[in-house]
Amino acid sequence: MSVAQLAQGSVPHAAKRAARRDAVFTASVVAFGIIVAASLIGPWIAPYDPNELYVGPVNGVVSLAHPFGTDDVGRDILSRVLVGAGASVFAPIAIVVLSTLAGALLAVLAAWYGGVLRGAIARVVDVIFAIPGLVLAVLAVAMFGKGLVAPVIALSIAYIPVVARLTQTAASRELGKPYIAALRVQGVSSFAVCFRHLVPALVPVVAAQMAVGFGYAMLDLAAISFLGLGQQAPAADWGSMIASGQSAILAGAPEQSLFPAILVVVTVLAVGIIGARVTVWAEEKER
Amino acid sequence: MSAPILQLERLSIFAPGHDGPRPLVTESSLTVATGESVGLVGESGSGKTLTVRAIAGLLPDGFTTTGTIRVDGRDFAELSPRELRDLRARRMGMIFQTPRAHLNPLRTIGDFMTEALVTVASERREAAERRSLDLLDEVGIADPGRRLRQYPAELSGGLLQRVMIAATLAMDPQILLADEITTALDVTTQEEVMAVIAELRAHRELSLLFITHDLALAGAVCDRVNVMQGGRILETLNAATMRLDAREEYTRVLMSAALSTDPLVGSATLDAAAPAGGAPAANVERPPLLVVDDLRKTYRVRSAGGRGREDLVAVDDVGFELDAGGSLGIVGESGSGKSTTARIICGLERADSGAVTVAGEDWSRPARGGRERRERAKTVQMVFQDPYQSLDRRQTVRQCLAEAIRVHRKRDSREAIDARIRELMAAVRLEERLLDSRPRALSGGQRQRVAIARALAADPRVLVLDEAVSALDVTTQVEILTLLDTIRRETGVALLMITHDLTVIRRLCDEVVVMRAGRIEERGTATAILDDPQAEYTRLLLDSIPREGWRPRRRRPARTTPIPTVLGSVTSAVSVVAESTPAARTTPSDPTNDPGGRS
Amino acid sequence: MNSLLRTLLGRLGGLLLTLFLASVVIYSALLVTPGDPVSTIAGGAKPTPELIAQIRAEYHLDDPVWMRYWQWLSGVFTGDFGRSFVYKTDVLNLIAPRFGVTFQLVLLTVVIILIFGVGSGVLAATRGAKVDRAVSIATSLGMALPTFVVAILLIWVFAKSLGWFPVFGEGAPGRDRLWHLVLPAVSLAVMFNAYISRVTRSALVAQLHSEHVDTARVRGIPRARIFRVHVFRNASPQILAIAGTTIAGLFAASAIAEQAFGLGGLGSLLTEAAARKDLPVVQLVSLLLVAIFVVLNAVADLVSALIDPDSVASGRQA
Repeated sequence: MSVAQLAQGSVPHAAKRAARRDAVFTASVVAFGIIVAASLIGPWIAPYDPNELYVGPVNGVVSLAHPFGTDDVGRDILSRVLVGAGASVFAPIAIVVLSTLAGALLAVLAAWYGGVLRGAIARVVDVIFAIPGLVLAVLAVAMFGKGLVAPVIALSIAYIPVVARLTQTAASRELGKPYIAALRVQGVSSFAVCFRHLVPALVPVVAAQMAVGFGYAMLDLAAISFLGLGQQAPAADWGSMIASGQSAILAGAPEQSLFPAILVVVTVLAVGIIGARVTVWAEEKER
Repeated sequence: MSAPILQLERLSIFAPGHDGPRPLVTESSLTVATGESVGLVGESGSGKTLTVRAIAGLLPDGFTTTGTIRVDGRDFAELSPRELRDLRARRMGMIFQTPRAHLNPLRTIGDFMTEALVTVASERREAAERRSLDLLDEVGIADPGRRLRQYPAELSGGLLQRVMIAATLAMDPQILLADEITTALDVTTQEEVMAVIAELRAHRELSLLFITHDLALAGAVCDRVNVMQGGRILETLNAATMRLDAREEYTRVLMSAALSTDPLVGSATLDAAAPAGGAPAANVERPPLLVVDDLRKTYRVRSAGGRGREDLVAVDDVGFELDAGGSLGIVGESGSGKSTTARIICGLERADSGAVTVAGEDWSRPARGGRERRERAKTVQMVFQDPYQSLDRRQTVRQCLAEAIRVHRKRDSREAIDARIRELMAAVRLEERLLDSRPRALSGGQRQRVAIARALAADPRVLVLDEAVSALDVTTQVEILTLLDTIRRETGVALLMITHDLTVIRRLCDEVVVMRAGRIEERGTATAILDDPQAEYTRLLLDSIPREGWRPRRRRPARTTPIPTVLGSVTSAVSVVAESTPAARTTPSDPTNDPGGRS
Repeated sequence: MNSLLRTLLGRLGGLLLTLFLASVVIYSALLVTPGDPVSTIAGGAKPTPELIAQIRAEYHLDDPVWMRYWQWLSGVFTGDFGRSFVYKTDVLNLIAPRFGVTFQLVLLTVVIILIFGVGSGVLAATRGAKVDRAVSIATSLGMALPTFVVAILLIWVFAKSLGWFPVFGEGAPGRDRLWHLVLPAVSLAVMFNAYISRVTRSALVAQLHSEHVDTARVRGIPRARIFRVHVFRNASPQILAIAGTTIAGLFAASAIAEQAFGLGGLGSLLTEAAARKDLPVVQLVSLLLVAIFVVLNAVADLVSALIDPDSVASGRQA
């Protein structure tokens, strides 16, 4: 299954309390900010050509010249991590944006029109949900070949059910509230009810869902690269670097896998804490 | 009176706060003597529910108390947790406002009834079941054997409340804590439940601490009444003489709100108001503003308890008329179809058949296009029950009113709209400094005033008020009713009041329609129907309203003798008289008619 | 009970429809695949026209699309699962031995999740603020530890540095197999553990704060009984529904652990087949994973329904 399907769980109270504590939250925002900035300017600040062989020793340890060490063919790991950050960070963002747009649109259509359309959308969403995200991504690779494009599109589709179901629940609940009936009795147009009242009401829910979804998208995509179906050599993203470092670990040099792994974990952790904060915000808005 | 069974001395309750504990209840003292019935009356936020939860050990995490609580002479502070649990289990019983939420939905009534007997009193299961049958019988539940096998979802709210009462009796408690136990029930069901409690108290040595917002009800069922406000007990009154004894201004306000059934508008003021209200009397030939004819609406619903589906006739052959400037009340209990009727009139639902005619136009079909919808909005407006839910919580008062005004005056300048907003605020007696507040920052009364102002924005000719005051505290209810009366006289808008509360009708309406189970039972002028009701159901409704000298009566025959107790050591011995005739009882109300809450 | 049965039959119909639609999606997706399967089948060599014709006939590549789908679907029901483009053998022969490895890996992972995930959720909900906080921190971290990261850490620490566990392969059936599967199962379990722990905790806390539990407390029902009868039992349908989805998802997620530890399971077969465009294998393994996912979800639903009939009647979907 796609890990995004896990996003339906609620954030525990203690995690929310932790998210309220500003120090942890600020640290998370700073960490995420640095990672996003590095992924934007990575190619320009990388000290070496990421694909040039033997700029240092094979499986070199951490040193001043190579702060993250060198890999099994002597490439500079820091440079590879920096250049790989672009794909690692922005591909998940693309997944989240695409799946949120499609899912939220389906959700609002289903909640607004109800009836046959809602049934049809629910069936489509059920079918997509039945195909685990990883399987859909592998199918896409089988169709269109290795690389990041096919998995990004596949995961964007795979994440639609989670977004659509959560948003539709929220939209239906909102539409059932008396204030919507009050607006109708006042003669306010449907267009205004939808865009001035319904859609703004859904923003916190969708925002919280996007923050949570990003972490899952990042992990799923890294997993696909780890399987060798995503980013193709010599280009690298964090997932493929972790996979290619496995033989180096057995040779006693964990750096090649370890540093990208740490970056994946830190990014997902930071986004998770930010997501918890956004969820708290969304729940407060709901009250 | 004998020794107190319950004693609170200078009890304070604190909520955890950012800067230290925050007091919610301050130095409250009260006693309940053995066999006595004591009321604790207050509006929302008065601390009455917290007080009873402190006694029951149900305060939320982090809450702390000072002062002493004694039950049966034993100080809670001196007991171990285990002793305390045992004391509560054997000496106290507690009943809650929402019986459905307070019963485990996955366990049968039988599991619930026998659980304490088996696990706390170590009864054998068969004995516990036999006793459960007797207890259900005692609270007037027919066919108790079948009930034991049913799940809570299969029973009505009134029945569940009786099950709760029966279950607390299982341990032969000495004091019953009753927290707003009839608030969610219809008035006739309330009387049934209160009658059950009155009978139990007559047969058992049972004290009662009765928490309610309804001073009249407390006065009718209690020996003494404590009035609570803002976390303090203001005064303790003898129920029989409380009208004379009350010293506190607040108590008097509560009394005037709760006990008075006097109309705000007597017939004299009504006559004076009539000319201003479009002078209906002078134009007898003019057709009525709103004509509802032969309305019928059926819903497909999940059948109660079962999992099939069935048709529920919500509105059946309903017809009435409302004159310009008139005021008509539709009164009925939950499931009577009164709200559905209102929603059909406002175009929120479509009737299966029948006609709604407003100002000569047929409104039975849905509006075609925006222009017709706006035209209708200018004629009929609606105010809903829960003002917080019926306002968009993201909009300020100003935005909310501006939106309502712009629907009809698209081309108006900013200044003109601002002026209109100020006019509306003045009409509902709201200060302009509230214009930039959001609903969350307003009180319940203020929110409802905003909702009324919004409805008035279109200058409607009919204002439909769907239980518009029932979610408010009694003192606020009076304010809003007075305001509505003033608005009616100032603007000549006709009022259609949907309510479960006959006192609201008496205060505000010229004419009444009494509905039950989707049909009209009786209709006529308010004075005629309230003073001389013809339909038996109207009489029942009127008789169920608590007032001075009112005693709740059980309308259905019930067991009159006490039942044998299996926990003989705990209570005084009770003689067994086996002459009850449970077969004489009729089946309690059909669950589908009473979902346990007001519509 | 009769109407409950009807609801469940309706659910079964929906399940079959979903499966059917998913099979259409899977099959048609691979038809629109760019590139000619002939080149895949023929391998690296430039095929002669005769060979192309022979391959097209053998693999029914010239039949209309719907007929090929029909042949494929009826084949699935009659035990003819098609032939691999790459291995030139029946797909079933490829899948059967690998399914066992994946199944054992998932089973071991489920055991870990049920013990540690549900267990820590129960502790967090019942053992006070400090334990709750500790579990919360652990699950926050756990949710950020994907299988492939845990896998390389485990390989580094336990396999390489300490040498306690084997690094590669699934070993011989029996105890050796179990030994080989410990690290993959742990790597697979970490994130799902954290998730199930959170779900368990929040379901339990919701019940602990519910009003019917207040009633039981006022009545003096012993704490242990309240937890067992009123809290855990009422929370279990919710936990089960999500655990069902999670466990069903493990069959697909195991691909990552299989890759990291060199296990010959379904997931690694699917990955390899996708990389080599071996369409019959991709189709069948995908369909199998979808079927497992849908059926396990339905089973979790059914068990939930037996505990709480309303959870099905109210239309909650898997």
